[in-house]
Amino acid sequence: MKSRKSRIKKSKSMIVFQCMACTLLTLGAVICVVPFLLILSGSLSDNAAILREGYSLLPRSFSLAAYETIFKAPEEILQAYKMTIFYTVVGTCVGLAMITLTSFVISRKEFKYRNQVSFLIYFTTLFGGGLIPWYLMYTNVLNMKGTTFPIWFPGVMSPFLVVLMRTFITDSVPDAITESAKLDGAGQFTIFYRIVLPVLGPGLATVGLFLALGYWNDWYRSSLFSTSQKTWELQFYLSNMLNMSASLKQMAQSANIPVADMPTQAVKLAMAVVVTGPVLLFYPFVQRFFVSGITVGAVKG
Amino acid sequence: MREKWLRMEEAMEREVKGRKAGVLFSAALCALCLLLSLPFVSWIRLVNISALFSRMGITREMAAELYQSYGIFNLLSFVEKGKQGALGLYAMICLLLLLAVWYFQLSYLWRVLRNKKHKNGNLGLYVCGRAATVLAILLAAASQGFVFFANATYGMKGFLASPVIYLVAALSALAYGMIKRMEKRERLLYHEHGLLKELRKNWVLFLMLVPTFVYFLINSYLPMVGVYYAFTNFNFRDGLWASPFVGFKNFEFLFKGDLVRLIRNTVLYNVAFILLGNLTQIFFAILVSQVLGKWFKKITQTLMFMPYFVSYVLLKVLVYNMFEYDYGVINSLITAWGGTKIDFYNTPAYWPMLIILFNLWKGVGYGMVVYLASIMGIDGELYEAARVDGANVFQQIRYITMPLLKPTFIILLLYSLGGIMRGQFELFYQMVGTNGILYRVTDIIDTYVYRITMTQPLSIGLGTAAGLYQSVFGLVVVVATNWLIKRKNEQYALF
Repeated sequence: MKSRKSRIKKSKSMIVFQCMACTLLTLGAVICVVPFLLILSGSLSDNAAILREGYSLLPRSFSLAAYETIFKAPEEILQAYKMTIFYTVVGTCVGLAMITLTSFVISRKEFKYRNQVSFLIYFTTLFGGGLIPWYLMYTNVLNMKGTTFPIWFPGVMSPFLVVLMRTFITDSVPDAITESAKLDGAGQFTIFYRIVLPVLGPGLATVGLFLALGYWNDWYRSSLFSTSQKTWELQFYLSNMLNMSASLKQMAQSANIPVADMPTQAVKLAMAVVVTGPVLLFYPFVQRFFVSGITVGAVKG
Repeated sequence: MREKWLRMEEAMEREVKGRKAGVLFSAALCALCLLLSLPFVSWIRLVNISALFSRMGITREMAAELYQSYGIFNLLSFVEKGKQGALGLYAMICLLLLLAVWYFQLSYLWRVLRNKKHKNGNLGLYVCGRAATVLAILLAAASQGFVFFANATYGMKGFLASPVIYLVAALSALAYGMIKRMEKRERLLYHEHGLLKELRKNWVLFLMLVPTFVYFLINSYLPMVGVYYAFTNFNFRDGLWASPFVGFKNFEFLFKGDLVRLIRNTVLYNVAFILLGNLTQIFFAILVSQVLGKWFKKITQTLMFMPYFVSYVLLKVLVYNMFEYDYGVINSLITAWGGTKIDFYNTPAYWPMLIILFNLWKGVGYGMVVYLASIMGIDGELYEAARVDGANVFQQIRYITMPLLKPTFIILLLYSLGGIMRGQFELFYQMVGTNGILYRVTDIIDTYVYRITMTQPLSIGLGTAAGLYQSVFGLVVVVATNWLIKRKNEQYALF
């Protein structure tokens, strides 16, 4: 009798909890997603409807005019796309090479100065000269304002990713294996290339994806170092377009649309969709790498 | 065999005694150098005082403040009166060197006095002593260089190096030689080797580090020299390195003006982000871990992770889309229900809440992953046992999950406390942009410095000063929190 009663009580509390959890989680998920839907529906709306009634969750009157406007004069956005892909590919490749080599070195027990090197890398997160000396370093000392170098180079490394990669290396390559390879006469580079690198797949994917995401979402370095629109990153292009209706008007003129008819509000949103689309299409498939990276990284630092 | 042992012991004994004398003697030399570098010992003398001061454009009253000769210590006040930029930088470097020398000398003396054994003998002690002596020699050379440089700058023989400099250099060189000899012997004893041998042995590893070295040099270590701009008043005629040196004027100006507001905003926002962020993350992580239905779990988690992947520029679009006056979603809802529109972009009162909300929105997925990993690490048998004892799911959460999440929570809290002076620049800049009406409640140190960098090149000094203040204060906070963590749990300490 007693046990039956407790089971009922238990299941009752379980049901209450499950209902509550489902509601709250659905609510949370909806809050996280609705803003994106708003943008998507706005971009698919007729501009006149937006001007008349404001944005809404479902497009009031469906229209592809905004996308047509963008793709009538696509040179600028294609250039920004091209540059962003360039920055992402170059930065991620160079960054992966540098991060992997560095973490390999500081994971080698026979390297006498590994603690000092780790500290020098870590110290940069504790103290820095600040934005202005850093900015002047690239513009006045290296004289590189306007080139592509200061846009991709500062993002190739971060202490967090070095620590992450080192954890991946120490977790996937036991000391005994490198020890025996050394006894067989393998040099440090052979150990790196033949033993560490082949088993480092998940680590490379994780760190590479973190790097690539950083590059894709960056607008800041363009805003500091770009002198012409040729070197703009995609996000900066979008950010700039939001700021300047002037650039919209210019676009309208080159697409031969009268300025007054330009679907400005919808075009802004359509541009946001075009810029963010690739990331949102990709992320469900690569999410697990980020999860593993965050989990591993959270363990230490 | 036994005889051999005895002989070895005897040799060790001799070694140790000889070493002790050497250590004490070199420590005494270091202490002497330390005394010689104290403020009241003059390192640099002025000759032709009246001619020099008239060349520098210093009035009688100001001249009365400056003495006839200088400890290396008050070089700066001298340079400040002279308003010479390049000399200021030079004096600054000398002073930093002096601080480093004092630090190493004191810690060498402290280690000698404490006489604690480490697992590789006294090698750490010797490194410290060598650093102290080498830096002291460098400092002496730099002071001599300062004399030449200052004489050349004013185009007359106004400065003279005091013999104290040569004495310090000689004493330090002597101490260096002794330490080096002892170190060589001790290295043999412990099978350790120095930098050169390590270079020869592991040159491949050093080669692998070269790109990283260049990267951090360009991005972090060379710009650190630039904090000197914080002490100058920049003008285009003299350029970056020769603009007049003004001491702490920029800091004073900041303190009188914006700094209090900037720091208040930066710190308060970060406190809100950290506390509310962690709480919502824990809340949702617990819900996801307990909810039934594998697919539901996965889908909600994926969807809540979504905001982490988009850029802050998109956040700007979102905010604009929702809070715009004419067409914004919120305002169209309000008008649909017959209310009056709210002018968000001109009302500062709404923005602290909005910024905090969007920060939570963007960070909830990331934090959930961290806490979920921690929840997954909890032993399942605990829940099993609780269920057998008749605990319902609320009780399980209250008495098992939450207590076991507490350590993770505290550690994450302390880690983020270390970054309390670092503002979320992208969030603030993209949400507020250049909307000056909102600055009172939304301006943080980072946006302030960015604005100076982009629009006011003449205020470089002020901007660098604000950045330097942020860095130094941040470092102090990190060191303090690290000390706290260390007291709580040694293995979680950052360094």
